[in-house]
Amino acid sequence: MDAGLLIWFQVVVPVLVGAACLLMQSPRTVLASVAGGSVVMAASAAGAAWAVHALGPIHAVGEWFLLDALSAYHLVLLEIVFCLSSFYAWRYFGHEQEAGHFDLRIARRFGALWFGAAASMTLVLVSNNLGILWVSVEATTLLTAFLICLHVTPSSLEAMWKYLIMCSVGVAFAFIGTLLVGASAGPARLSGSDALLWTRLSAAAGNLDPTLLKMGFIFLLVGYGTKAGLAPMHGWLPDAHSQAPAPVSAVFSGFLLNSALYCIMRYVPIVESGTGHVGWALDILTVFGLVSILIAAGFIVFQRDAKRLLAYSSVEHMGIIALGLGLGGFGTFAAMFHAANHSICKSVGFFSAGRLGQMYGTHDITKMKGVLRTAPVWGGGFFVSLLALIGVAPFAIFMSEFQILRTALDTGSIVALVLFLAGTSIVFVGALRHAVSVAWEPPDVHIEPEHAGVLDYVLVVLPLAALLALGLYLPDFVSGTFAQAARVIGGAP
Amino acid sequence: MAVESLISVVLALVLAPLFLGVINRVKAIFAGRTGQPLLQTYYDLAKLLRKGAVYSRTTTWVFRAGPTVALAATLAALVVMPLGGTPALVSFPGDLVLFAYLLGLGRFFTVVAALDTGSSFEGMGASREVQFAAVAEPALLLGLAALAVRTHSLSLSGIFAGPAGSVTLQAWIQMGPIVLLVGGAFLIVFLAENARIPVDDPNTHLELTMIHEVMVLDHSGPDFAFIQYGGALKHWVLGALVVGCLLPVHPASALWAPAVSVAEMLTLAVVVGIIESVMARLRLVSVPHLLAGALTLSVVALVLVIY
Amino acid sequence: MNAWTDAIVVLVALTNLALLGSSRLSVCIRVVAIQGIFFGLAAVLLRAEPLTMDLGLVALASVVMKGIVFPALLLRTARNVNIRREVEPFVGFTTSLFIGLGLLGIALWIGSQLPSAANPTGSLVIPLALFTVMVGLFTIASRKKAISQVLGYLTMENGIFAFGVTVVGGIPVLVELGVLMDVFVAVFVMCIATWHISREFDHIDVDQLNALKG
Repeated sequence: MDAGLLIWFQVVVPVLVGAACLLMQSPRTVLASVAGGSVVMAASAAGAAWAVHALGPIHAVGEWFLLDALSAYHLVLLEIVFCLSSFYAWRYFGHEQEAGHFDLRIARRFGALWFGAAASMTLVLVSNNLGILWVSVEATTLLTAFLICLHVTPSSLEAMWKYLIMCSVGVAFAFIGTLLVGASAGPARLSGSDALLWTRLSAAAGNLDPTLLKMGFIFLLVGYGTKAGLAPMHGWLPDAHSQAPAPVSAVFSGFLLNSALYCIMRYVPIVESGTGHVGWALDILTVFGLVSILIAAGFIVFQRDAKRLLAYSSVEHMGIIALGLGLGGFGTFAAMFHAANHSICKSVGFFSAGRLGQMYGTHDITKMKGVLRTAPVWGGGFFVSLLALIGVAPFAIFMSEFQILRTALDTGSIVALVLFLAGTSIVFVGALRHAVSVAWEPPDVHIEPEHAGVLDYVLVVLPLAALLALGLYLPDFVSGTFAQAARVIGGAP
Repeated sequence: MAVESLISVVLALVLAPLFLGVINRVKAIFAGRTGQPLLQTYYDLAKLLRKGAVYSRTTTWVFRAGPTVALAATLAALVVMPLGGTPALVSFPGDLVLFAYLLGLGRFFTVVAALDTGSSFEGMGASREVQFAAVAEPALLLGLAALAVRTHSLSLSGIFAGPAGSVTLQAWIQMGPIVLLVGGAFLIVFLAENARIPVDDPNTHLELTMIHEVMVLDHSGPDFAFIQYGGALKHWVLGALVVGCLLPVHPASALWAPAVSVAEMLTLAVVVGIIESVMARLRLVSVPHLLAGALTLSVVALVLVIY
Repeated sequence: MNAWTDAIVVLVALTNLALLGSSRLSVCIRVVAIQGIFFGLAAVLLRAEPLTMDLGLVALASVVMKGIVFPALLLRTARNVNIRREVEPFVGFTTSLFIGLGLLGIALWIGSQLPSAANPTGSLVIPLALFTVMVGLFTIASRKKAISQVLGYLTMENGIFAFGVTVVGGIPVLVELGVLMDVFVAVFVMCIATWHISREFDHIDVDQLNALKG
C-alpha cells in the first residue's frame, strides 16, 4: 500500500466528518461524532507516525506533501491535543446544553468548524510546498475565527475581529517572506514550481541568494510570529484565547500556536545554510523569544482573568520554545520536548478554567476562590497545571526549561540566560500568587459542588500524570522522537 | 518667429473676452436657455470704461493700484506663455518660475486691495482665496517642474514649443501618462484660479459661497473693467497651459498656427462650460481636498519623471 | 520602459492615492476593484514568457474575483450595515494623501535598493507593488470602519500578488488559485463578521471595540 495514502487519509477524514456534522440532528450526536472523529484521526495519525518511523519520510502528490520526523511528531502532538479537547468538548458543551445555551445550529457550526480547523492544521503539517503551507495557515485563521465567537457577544466579536485582522495581516507578511525565499532560489537554478518545495530548497540551501533569504526570513518571522503569539505581535492572543469557549482555547494554545512556530522551524535550516551558518537567524529568533518571555511575565503578574492568565502564559512558553530553537544544538531538542509539555499542560489548564468558569459563572480570579473544596477534580487540575506551567519540579516543563538553561550556559549566552531566568522567576511568583488564592481562599458565594464523572478524572489526571512521569524519566522512545525531529531542522542533542 | 508670437499675443488680447462668452453660451445651451450674446463681455467692458469710479474713504492707493497691477501682471504672463506650438514673445530659461510668480503677484494685489477696504466681507473672500492658493500654487509649480525635468528645458517655450523633446503629439506617446497627470493637475488649477465651478461659482453673490467675486465687490468703473479683462486674460493664459499639455496639436506650417491655437482655446472653453454645467459646486471644506488631489497628481508625475 | 507599463504603473499609484483620499466607501471599494483588475492584467502583460493556459486562467480568475466578486460582496455588506462614508479617521484625508506620497517615495527608494536578482527588468512594478502593500497597511491602521480595514487587507493582497508574480517567475497555478481562494474566504468571513458587529454594536467603528484590556 502506498504510504502516501496515509497522508491523504489524515487530511480527508476531518473534512468528511466535519461535513457530516452539518447534517446531524441533535447537539448530542454532533458532540459524539466530534469525539469519535477525533479518535479515528488519532489512530490514523499514530499509524502514519509509525510508518515514518519505520520507512523514513513519506511523500504524496509528487513532492507536494511530505511527512518526515518533524511533521510526524507535530502531527501526533496535534492529535493528542485534539483528542483530549474533543472529549472535553463533550463534557463542556454537554453542560452548556443542559443550561440551554448550546442549540443545534451552534452545535453544527461547532462541529463543522472544529474539523475544518483540524483538517487545515493537518494540511499545514504535511505541506512540502511552501505556498500550500501558507494557504493552509491562512485557512486555519479563517476557520478558527468563527470558533472564537461561537456565542456571539460583544467581547467575543471584538476578540474575533482583532484576531482576524491581525493574523490575516501577519500571514500576508509571511506570504511576502515566502515569495522572497522563493525568489532567492534564482541563483540555485530551481525552476518555478521547485522553488517553493522545502525539500529542494533545503538541499540547495548553500546556493541561495543570502540577501533575499534574510529579507524573507524577517518577513516570515514577523508574519508567522504573529500567528504564533510571539511578542510584540501577540496583541490578539489574550483576547482570542479568553473569549473563545474552553475547548477551542485549548486547541489554540495547545496546537495552533505550535503550528505557526512549526512553519518558522521549517525555514530556519534553509536560512542558516544560506547565510553561511553564522547563527543570524538563530540570534533573531532568540531575541523574539526573550522579548515574549519578558512581556508575558509583566502581564501575568497583573492579570485578573483566569483564561487571560493562561493566554499570556502561552505567549511566555512560545517564547521559551523560540529561545530553545534560537540557542540551537541541544536547545532544539529541548524546544521539541517543551512543545509537547506545554501543549499537554496548557490543555488541562484551559479545561479546568473553562469548567470552573461554568461553575462560578465568571473567569475572574478574584471571584473564583476555594476551588479545591468546591471542585476537587477540576480545581485540582487548575492548580496543578498552573504549578506545572510555571516550572515547578519535577513536572516535565521544569525539565525542558532546565535543559534550555543548560544549553544557554554551554553556548555562553549569558545575557539570554539572565533574561530567561528573570522572566521565568517573575512568572513563577506572579502566577503562584494567583494559583494559591484561587485554590485555598474560602469562596465568597456558595457554589454548587461539582459532580465529576469518570471522563473528568481521566481528562485531568491522565495528562498531568504523564507530565509527571516524563519529568522524572524520559523513555528512549520518546527522546528518540524529539531527537529525530530536532535533527530535521539542524539541531543535534 | 517673432511675428507669429506677436500675432498670438494680439489674438489673446482680442479674443480673451470671447472665451468667457463661449463658456457662458455652453452653460446656457445645457440649461435650455438662449443665454447672453457671445460678445456680451465686450459690451460689458465698453460700458464699464465709460463709467466713473467710486472710491470709499477708507481705502488707500493700494485699492486703486490693485486692479491695474493685476492686469499688468496677467499681461506680462501672457507675453511669456507659448500657445499652439509658437514660442512666446519673451522666453528665457527659468521663465516658468516668473510665470508662476506673476500670477502670484496678481493674486497678491487683488487680495491686498480687498483687505484695504476694511470690510470683513472682502476679508473673508481674501482669506479663502489665499488658503486655496496655498495648495494650488505648489500644484502648478510642481507640475511645471515635472514637465521641465522631462523635456530638459527650463523655459515654457522650450517645454511647449521647443524643437525636439517638447510636448508634441508624437512625444505624447512616449511620455503620455506624465503629461496626462500634469494636464489633469493644471486643469484643476485652472478651475481654481479662475473661480470656476466646482471651486467657485462666478454667478453667485451669496456670502456663504463667494470666493473671488467677493474680493472685487467694491471696484467700479474702469477698475472693474480692468478686473474683468484681467480675469478673461487669466483664463486665456492658464488655458494655454492646459491646452499645451492636453491638446498639443502643432500644425506643420506656420500659417495655420493662429487658427489652430484659437480653435484649441475655444475647445477648452466648451469643455469648461460642460464641466461647469454637469458638476455642482463643492463644499468649501472639500475644495482643499480637490486641490490636494491636484497636488498629488503633480507630485506623482514628478516622482515618476525622476525615476 | 514601454508605454503599457508606464500607464499601468501610474494608474496603480493613482488608485492607491484615491483610496487614501476618498471618504465615500463605495468609491474606495470600486477603486480597490480597479486596482485588482489592473494588477491581474499586468501579471499577464508583463511576463517575459509567452502566455500559457495556466497563466491565462490565473489572470482571468483574479480579474473576475477582484473586479466583480469582491466589490459585490463589500458593497452588499456596506448596504446591509448602512454605512456610506468613513467619517473622522485617525489620520485626516488630506494628511493621508500626503503620507501616501511619502510612502510612494519610500517604495521607489526601496525598489532601487533591491538586489538585481529580484528585479532583472528594472521595471517600476516592484516598487509599486511595495507601495500598494504599504498603503494597505496604512489604511488598516488609520481607518476606523471595519469595511475600510477589509479594503486595506485587500489592497495588501493586491500588492503582494503583483510582487509575487514579478519576483518569483513561475508560481504553480494551484498555489496561485489557492491564494486567491484564501483571500476570497477571508473577505467573505470579514464581511460576515462586519455584519455581526453591526448587529451587536449598532456601528462598525472598530476603535470603539476596546472593552478587552490588559
